[in-house]
Amino acid sequence: MTFNDLIDPNPKKAFLLANEAIARAAIEKDVKVAAFYPGSPTSEILDTIYILASYLDDLKMEVASNEIVALETVAGASMAGVRGFTAMKSVGLNVAADSFFSLGYTGVNAGLVLLIADDPHAHSSQSEQDGRFFGEAAHVPMLEPSSAQEAYDMVKWAFDLSEKYKMLVMIRTTTRVNHQSGIVQLDELKRTPFKRNDWKEVQGKYYTLSATARRLKGEALKKLKKVEEEEFETNPFNKLTLGEGDLGIITSGVSYLHVLEAVDVLNINPHILKLGTTHPLPRKMIANFLKKVNKVIIIEELMPYLELRVTAIAKDANPSVEIFGKYTKNFDYVGEYTVQSVVKGISSVLGLATPVNYDFYLERAEKLKSILPKRMPTFCPGCPHRSTLWAVQQAINEIDYVVNNDIGCYSMLLLEPYEITDSLLCMGASLGVSSGMQHVLNDKIISFVGDSTFFHASLPGLVNAVHNKHNIIVFILDNAVTAMTGQQPNPGSDFGALPVVEIDIEAIVRAIGVEHVTMINAFDPKNNIDKIKEALEFEGVSVVISKGPCALYNDRLKRKRGVPIIPNMVDKEECKTIYACIRDFYCPAIEMDMESRQAVILKDLCDGCMVCAKLCPVSSIKTTSGVQ
Amino acid sequence: MVTGYNIMLSGVGGQGLMLLSTIVGNACNKLGMKVITGEQHGLSQRSGSIYVHLRIGERVHSPLIPYGSADIIISMEATEVLRYIEFLKDDGIIIMNKRIMHPSLVTGDIAKHRDKNRTYITLEQILTQLEQVTRNIIVLDATKLAELAGNPRTENTVLSGAASALQEFPIDKDILKETIKDLVPSKTIEENLRAFDMGYEEAKKIIASL
Repeated sequence: MTFNDLIDPNPKKAFLLANEAIARAAIEKDVKVAAFYPGSPTSEILDTIYILASYLDDLKMEVASNEIVALETVAGASMAGVRGFTAMKSVGLNVAADSFFSLGYTGVNAGLVLLIADDPHAHSSQSEQDGRFFGEAAHVPMLEPSSAQEAYDMVKWAFDLSEKYKMLVMIRTTTRVNHQSGIVQLDELKRTPFKRNDWKEVQGKYYTLSATARRLKGEALKKLKKVEEEEFETNPFNKLTLGEGDLGIITSGVSYLHVLEAVDVLNINPHILKLGTTHPLPRKMIANFLKKVNKVIIIEELMPYLELRVTAIAKDANPSVEIFGKYTKNFDYVGEYTVQSVVKGISSVLGLATPVNYDFYLERAEKLKSILPKRMPTFCPGCPHRSTLWAVQQAINEIDYVVNNDIGCYSMLLLEPYEITDSLLCMGASLGVSSGMQHVLNDKIISFVGDSTFFHASLPGLVNAVHNKHNIIVFILDNAVTAMTGQQPNPGSDFGALPVVEIDIEAIVRAIGVEHVTMINAFDPKNNIDKIKEALEFEGVSVVISKGPCALYNDRLKRKRGVPIIPNMVDKEECKTIYACIRDFYCPAIEMDMESRQAVILKDLCDGCMVCAKLCPVSSIKTTSGVQ
Repeated sequence: MVTGYNIMLSGVGGQGLMLLSTIVGNACNKLGMKVITGEQHGLSQRSGSIYVHLRIGERVHSPLIPYGSADIIISMEATEVLRYIEFLKDDGIIIMNKRIMHPSLVTGDIAKHRDKNRTYITLEQILTQLEQVTRNIIVLDATKLAELAGNPRTENTVLSGAASALQEFPIDKDILKETIKDLVPSKTIEENLRAFDMGYEEAKKIIASL
């Protein structure tokens, strides 16, 4: 994209990432309050609206401390009469679920749209959670786009639907939709001035309890029926393409795009029903489709959500129709779909040979790739975590310990070469798991959390551990931003889309009553060993706060301020091939010269953090002092 | 009309692969051509392996290239060509930077087993494997050309110039250059256009010798 495309008030065609198109759609719909907690694959929605917000003085944009606060913030705005929008990753809705379910009962006032992005293949998530079940469980209408253009169109329509029926509307995407770019036809961008309301002008009742809850549930179900019959049955997002013969395919989301190519590869012409409204389902439309065919193949990633429901519709509509999908083992429950997996699945139903031998390409490639080294994601050059973790490794190497890890860049501790993680469940879980383990185990119980995760979900766990007099050590790795998702601000940051107050982690930890608090400078690895050892010896809740800014974030600040990034170099005369700069440190900017077997620093990668220089016992690593 | 042209872009997180995809995507938009990508964001910014499936033409729909269907792989790093080789069609084209960025995992392993004389993978080893799939391999020193162009961060532009030297590449060289002008920071336009031309000339020479 070019940023000019996103802010251009005129209609135009632009090459955009779906997440950028989604952000533009929300802005075109005059969203007044937007709040997010970042999470892949939705983070670029936040990032785009964050940048747009600096151009729009009628938009209140916040990075919230977590997903439920984000949802409640935009729900509050909707109750107060202006449009609200939030987006979160699949597991983000677990955090926001409590309010989400109640909003399904209370309904909303001004248009309120929630986008959730599932992650088939678990590219950057702890699970392949299928968020489609949320829509039905909470009585919330749900839309599912396939492409960048459709994501844009659906977000826009979702606001109209939400306002017409006074319901929260959910859009469910998957990674391959969010991280798909394409040409998107944008409409005019026209905003209205921000207007504050008085409660008496907009007021409604947004509580649900006992008799009210039972009444509201009934009303929500009635509204959903109306949405199904009056909106979804005739909705162009549900697209019927007539083919030939008695074979039908029902699909949705990105699987639809794979299907379009798969039928081309297979040279078949089935009837295709692409569903864009997946809760409530357009039951009549599906029933009519089932009457046209003898065989129907259901193609959807993750759980057999459509398959089960289509099977139920078929019971009355066409009991003799044969239904193929996951229950019949033609398609997989695990992993994301591709053109080749869809071709294979359809072939297995029809008893056709796969026209392209995909397995041949894969098997040949696997043989050829046997010489390739693994390339795992790792801490960036200049990352404060690498330095902190170097010291932690030296401090714990002679004790028995358990590491309960958490969600953030430091999650990479579970990967090679570190492999220092015994549990990792979800945001904030490291505290609670440690609390349970300390009742039982003889080992030192260690938790790792980041600054953003601390604010997001670790506070209750820490309060609980202190209150119940637990014996654990908690490392809070404070790098000033939510690094992994793209260095967005969190409550400990000194910046935001609107003015912010920086929350002091140390003050919170002390106020909770943690008796042993150790502050360390992430970039001072050798001195940190003893400080960490001392913190480990404390019986009770011991908190170590390691401070040092995220390298990517800090590099951006430096570039903005015109501060040069000065790489280091290895003095060949001094290097005695001790490899202290390599062992337990693993910086991507350090390689080895195969002839001299000495360490070499790649100047285009080195961040100049000087930590490797501090580790070298013979002081052979020096700054290039800007001479490059 | 282009019915389908599949480009697999690969590299190491942090090398600027997304700009390459953005240049081609915006050029397609200028030309009114259908284009769709499947991109990798997230974890792999951090020195991990990274890719973009870039697909042009009226008959492409999926954001992912099927195995054995990429017309070309353009890679900013040598091992990352081989990592995605299942996507290349037989006798497809490879445009690759000769640079190898050795994972810190391997460097750590060599340091740990200092007595065993372990070594890094070499460009020759990679090429031997690639030649079993295609003979159409264009190897450039994009890192050096970018430096010569005046900005080491223009490796991606060098490679886009090289791609435009291919007769079958669906986007004209001048359109690509125009798009680069629109997309890169104004003070780096000169360097980028130089890098583009150097990539173009170098690839022309190599193609003539193939």
